[in-house]
Formats: sequence, structure tokens, C-alpha cells
Amino acid sequence: MRLLGVLEKDSKELLILQDRNQLSLESIDNIKEKFANYTMLKNRDKHIGSKAVKGNGVFNFRYGPVTGGVGDAGVFNIYTYGERILSVDIDPGYKKRNIETLIKNTALHQAVNWSENVCSNFAFSHSCAFLRAVEKAGSFRSDEVTQRIRIIGIELERIYNHLYVISRLSKGASQNVLASHLEGLFEEALRTNKLFSNSRFLKHTNDLFIDKNNFKKLDEAALKTKNIKEKFEELYEHSLASWNFIDRLYKTAVLDQKKALEIGVTGPTLRAAGCREDLRVYEKFYDNFKIITKDKGDVLARMQVRAEEIMLSCDMVIDQIDKIKKMQQNNSKIDEPSISGFGMGYCESPSGLVLYFVNMNKGIVQDVYISTPSVFGFKAFADSFVGYIFTDFSFSFDSFGINFADCAR
Amino acid sequence: MKSWALYGITRKLTEPFKKLEENTGKMDKIFRRSLNIYPIDVGNNGDLNFEMAALAAPQYNIHRFGIFFADSPRHADVLLVLGRCSEKMVGPLKETVNQLPKPFNIIIVEDGTDFGISARDLSLPNVIAYYDKKLEAGEILSVLLNITGDKK
Repeated sequence: MRLLGVLEKDSKELLILQDRNQLSLESIDNIKEKFANYTMLKNRDKHIGSKAVKGNGVFNFRYGPVTGGVGDAGVFNIYTYGERILSVDIDPGYKKRNIETLIKNTALHQAVNWSENVCSNFAFSHSCAFLRAVEKAGSFRSDEVTQRIRIIGIELERIYNHLYVISRLSKGASQNVLASHLEGLFEEALRTNKLFSNSRFLKHTNDLFIDKNNFKKLDEAALKTKNIKEKFEELYEHSLASWNFIDRLYKTAVLDQKKALEIGVTGPTLRAAGCREDLRVYEKFYDNFKIITKDKGDVLARMQVRAEEIMLSCDMVIDQIDKIKKMQQNNSKIDEPSISGFGMGYCESPSGLVLYFVNMNKGIVQDVYISTPSVFGFKAFADSFVGYIFTDFSFSFDSFGINFADCAR
Repeated sequence: MKSWALYGITRKLTEPFKKLEENTGKMDKIFRRSLNIYPIDVGNNGDLNFEMAALAAPQYNIHRFGIFFADSPRHADVLLVLGRCSEKMVGPLKETVNQLPKPFNIIIVEDGTDFGISARDLSLPNVIAYYDKKLEAGEILSVLLNITGDKK
């Protein structure tokens, strides 16, 4: 069982728990199990990581919020005596936008818009998790066309995010030819998103029921995805033959399975530590899905999981487009003002589990709690980076595929 | 298998680029074909950070226009302010502006959301272009070519 969130309701503390694909909300008084990530989740908006370290010659190297190394606004307090990293404490507050407060008392479509703006590179995953929570609250299920279109959106999002992460890793390792080609594929992936949804970040597409007639360029999107897969396969094979590259990633920022489970991290980071967990296996319309795992838990393993997922996701996009074209549109509709109650929904985003708890009243969002993969990812980074040197920062950080927008909301 | 160096020159990824005319101010002519830009995220939703990453893609090949990313604001000719400012980023943004060498200019591109403070309301000096909507990588390149008066 994993703790994904701590929320307060009527001055009572409630825990959001996940066991495989089952989500539950329990009062803290009813739970005997102790969760190692409880304090981290309680303080997720203030700081993430470890405490300050004091000692002879130890100083705080404050990295951010304005640096050339990390494009996102946030601060890393790195405690070191000049060589080994002793502790990392992260302040995500520079990116705080209070989106959960903004979502409250809004109608459904405005709330979907806010959820997409938590973090643009996970926009589709956020809107999916939110809409699935609304479906639970209203006790209905979207139709098959909608669910299959969502799969395409989620997998397209995974492709461009993974390409971005691997291009960052190759750039950090001065593999400039590889990095340049991957950046080219990243741009191609964004253009594919635009062909598919008219938005480079797959926004304004997701809904409770999606009309497949809105997607006019499915064939072109499928062809572009096929090209991306072919080019990436060639680059990936080539990259694994480059010992300079592999040497920089191998045994860097190791996160073992026990530590990963304690932190509550999900997604490629957990799978790279040898844990066979991917909630897509429980979804009805994911055909021929397989979980990709590696066991070393280092930067290289995380890159390999992402690389193999790119190829798998490309196949899934092409397959789903083929199926959708043959399907009849079901003109299902839901009366939004009729949605009342609470529900939880999740989505396996490119970097782990996005979860939404929503409480709806007559189609208006009363309350919302968002659990994002970057919160756990930042803790995993802070813990795995200890003992390494600052030169490893870019590989270590980029390999988790996390960002402050997702973490701070 | 070819070495990376040979592999690199067997693929031509750069695309022809036709800039769109934008209503921007103009920088001094000395920056034409030599412009160092420093992007600063002041609290955007991630769109613009990823568009900046896309701008580095070989399809745009910004180096052919003499445009480069600076590693520090102290080496930059243009500060690209990305997004609307979160409360905690107001101070770091103003300090970054103080670090820019003269002459410098500022471009503000917001992400089309309502949260935060518009950087336009912070009385920043030398603002040469302002957009209250999100721009894509190609559009950002157009703006940069417009402010330098590049004829391409």
C-alpha cells in the first residue's frame, strides 16, 4: 500500500492510499501502518528533501531560482564541503500558483483548463486524472472512443517527454550529435501533437466524451509517429554503443527498490529500480501492453526504461488510431449539473502517477487535491544525489523527468 | 555503424525559415546576427520552458541567424521573461535585470493564464516586446529576428 497524499477535511486528516489500481481515502485514526513519506507529503509545499547538514567546512550551495542549469524556477539547497554532496533540500515555492484553490468553485470545463495548466508537459495526464475522478464522482464511465483517444493523448505525451529527458541526458554528457538529433525528434513529436489535437501540448482536447470527428489528421499523426519510432530506434542503438555516454550514466544517482517504495515514487523511476508496476495494465483498452523494467536503479536504467517505453508508446498510438478509425461514434452525453459526490482518478503520466481527488456539487468543483509525480521525484532525486558530486547534477536531476511546475502546482 | 561525427553530417534537419512580421521595437543594429538571449522562468506553466527547449532543435538552427543562449544574464543582450510572475519570483527577476550588461532589452511572453503578476506591471526597463499569449518556438524566433531587424 502506498501513501499518495494527505488532505485535511473538517479539521480531520485523511490519507489517500493506493493499492495496485485501488484508491481509497481513510481517516488517519483508522490506519495502523506508518508511512515513511507522511512528513514529506505534509510539507510538500514548503520543502522536499533532507535537513541541513552542519560540520567543519560544510556550506550551503544555493542553486536557483535563476540558473543556466535548471530552466525551471525553484531552489536547491545543496550542502557540501566542496566535493561530495551531503544533503539536498529543495524549495518548490517559487513556482507556487495555488491551482487547487483556483479550481474550487469552478464549473467543469474551467476546472479542466486549470488542471491542464498545472504543468503543460503533463497536461493531458492531469486532465485525464481529473476527468476520471469526475466520472467516479458522477458514477458514470466515458465511452470507448473517448477512452481510446485518451490513450493516444497519454502515449503521445509520454513520447515527447521521454525524448526530452533523453536529449537532456545526452546533452549533459556532451553527446552533442545525439542530443541534436533527439532535439529534432522532440520538435517532431510536438508537431505530431499539434496534428493530432491542434495543440503542441495536447491541451483543450480532453473531455468527458470526446467526438472523434474533431480529429481530422489521424493518418498523418500515425505516419509521423511511425517515423519518430524508426529514427529513435536507430539513435538509441547507436547511443548504447557509445561508451563515453554509458559511462556517465552507469551507477549514477542510484535509487534502490526499497528506497523507491519508501518514498512512494512511481513511473519509470520505480520500474528502473526493478518494480513491475504500471497501472496501465489495469486499463481495459490498452491492448498488448507490457511493463518495461530494469533493475539497476541508476540513471542508465531510467534512460533505458524511457527509451523502450518510447517505442512501445509509438506502437500503441499507431494501433489505437487504426482502431478508432473503424469505430462508430457513440453520441453519449452527460448532464454536467447532475454530477455530485466525490471521486478519485489517476493517470500514469510520463513520470509517474497523477492523482486527483474531487468533490463535486451539481457540476461545480467544491474541493480538490492533486498528487503529482514530481513531489515524489524531487524527494527521490534529493536522496539519490547524496554521495555524488556536483558534476552529476544534470544527469541525476534530468533522469527523473520532474519539474517545479508539477511539484508546486 | 558510422561514428557520431559522420552520422551527424548524413542527416540534414535544418528547415528554411520565413519570419513573420511582428510589431516589436527594434534593437541597435550591432545585435543583428549576434544576439545572446537569456530565458528566465518566472512561474509559467511549463509551456514556454518547453518551447525554449524546442527552439534549440536543429529544425530552427538559430545559430545560423547568430542567435545563442547565454549561460548567465551577465552575458545576455536580451532577457526573455517567460510567464506571469509568481510572488516569490518578483525579487529574483528584478535582480536578474540588474545583472544585465548595458545596452540590453527585455521581451515578455506570458502563457495565457491568469495566475501571478504580469511582468509588464513591474516597471521593468527597456521592454522591447510584450505578448500576453503563449508563443510557439517558431514564433519566438520570429520575434527575435524582428527585434534585430534581420531581413531573413
